[in-house]
Amino acid sequence: MNVTAVNLLDLFGYQFFQNALIGGCIAAAACATVGLFLILKKEAMIGDGLSHTAFGGIALGLLLGINPLFTALGISILAVFGISYMRRKGIAPSDSAIAVMLALGFSTGLIVISIAQGFNVELFSYLFGSILTIDLNDLIMVTLLGLSTLLIIGTFRREILSMVFDEDDSRVMGIPIKTLSIAFDLLVAITIVLSIKVIGTILVVALLVIPGLAALKLELSFKKTLLTAIGLSIASTVLGIMLSGVFDIATGGLIVFISIIFLILTYAYKKVG
Amino acid sequence: MRPTSSPILEALNVEVSRNSDIVIENASFSINRGDYVGIVGPNGGGKTTLILALLNFLPHTKGTIRLFGSDIDKFASWEKVAYISQQATNFEKHFPLTVRELVSLGCIRKGNIGRRFEYEDWEAVDESIRFMGLTDVAHRRIGQLSGGQKQRVFVAKALARNPEIIFLDEPVVGVDSATQEKFYKKLSDLNAEKQTTILMVTHDLTSVFCRMSKVLCVNKKVETAQITQELDPNTLLKKAYGEHFHFVFHKHECTGVFERDSR
Repeated sequence: MNVTAVNLLDLFGYQFFQNALIGGCIAAAACATVGLFLILKKEAMIGDGLSHTAFGGIALGLLLGINPLFTALGISILAVFGISYMRRKGIAPSDSAIAVMLALGFSTGLIVISIAQGFNVELFSYLFGSILTIDLNDLIMVTLLGLSTLLIIGTFRREILSMVFDEDDSRVMGIPIKTLSIAFDLLVAITIVLSIKVIGTILVVALLVIPGLAALKLELSFKKTLLTAIGLSIASTVLGIMLSGVFDIATGGLIVFISIIFLILTYAYKKVG
Repeated sequence: MRPTSSPILEALNVEVSRNSDIVIENASFSINRGDYVGIVGPNGGGKTTLILALLNFLPHTKGTIRLFGSDIDKFASWEKVAYISQQATNFEKHFPLTVRELVSLGCIRKGNIGRRFEYEDWEAVDESIRFMGLTDVAHRRIGQLSGGQKQRVFVAKALARNPEIIFLDEPVVGVDSATQEKFYKKLSDLNAEKQTTILMVTHDLTSVFCRMSKVLCVNKKVETAQITQELDPNTLLKKAYGEHFHFVFHKHECTGVFERDSR
């Protein structure tokens, strides 16, 4: 037990561990913020769709020798516009449009992998996350994108909330619904990409949805719900990274497990209280 | 205060189609500042379609709609307009908003998008909450409110930006008559004290003929009439509901809560 405690204290002294905590906290805060609005919009599946689409971008980046997060971002943004176009033109309803993009992105990834062969190990780290190996370039990217996302959503939180709550009335009020809606979907794509290093494309939807769900269980005001979701998300991520560093277990899996424990605890608290 | 003669909403030979069926045909009417208008008619007659077209949510296929003198397609002063839809109170029960938070969303307008609310905005929020009698529940979550309180919250939200005209689409569906009466009383106070123009789709004909100043009878065609002591409601209503329709209405029903004392 003493060995574990010493190891944990030692870990805080390492640059890679500090980077992991900083990147993890920023991604966790962005995911919880964007995720709460997605839950309220009943569009949590767009998170799942875009994260799988990002997989295609990652494979493409590895094949072309470009930072995979950049290509993942590009492909995810294209997917957002694709989903928006299909909805607008009546080609497919929202959930079907997401399913089409998910399949297209993922199959792109599979084709690229079979053509390239040989980057399976690196790809694995993007599929399941590898926050403890985050380098300075990735940390800068995660920090810039994460803080920008939080700043934009913080600035337009009322307008987004109004759009989510009552789109028709929001339109009457002069809120530019179409622009705001596309901008929000772009922020979802950005948030997913910046979280890939932390938790991986497969599990990123968990970080988007579970903290918000847990906070909603407490039946607080919107402001307190948002702050609670961010708090729970950061707590899950920090604990996940710490336990992962100490016990050498997959970080993404631990983060999801801890956040599910928080969800169960909030549910139990509400049941008992 | 009774309506003055300046029209703020005009429809001239308006036609609205949905899925290539004509739903509103050749409608012409004008609404003056301070009018309190009931929009009545049988189900499927086009009441909601008419409101949506007046708000430019649905395009009109013929004719002209003018709001505050401006063609509806070019109208930009939406901060003067509030709309409470049929579905407004059917929100997700667990939506994390308190009454004060929801009412504050009403302060968003083109000029302050992405900006901090001013002190005056918060004053307007609290004044709207007070006016609608919701001070005691201001910090309660909206999902915990009764049906009548929910309706008043949405009017308070609309009032927060001090609109000149409010459109309501069947706001009293599913609440008991005592609550309905209180709700109508609040709207009457609003109309009388602030001269806010109100257009409301409703099936409550008694309230329309007791409280309101004008009625639009909608069943594809739109018949309009100023409500006066001399108006025979049945002559008008038969045009929309059919010859077999008979509305039993006695003017003494308008005493007490329903009295149009300010008219």
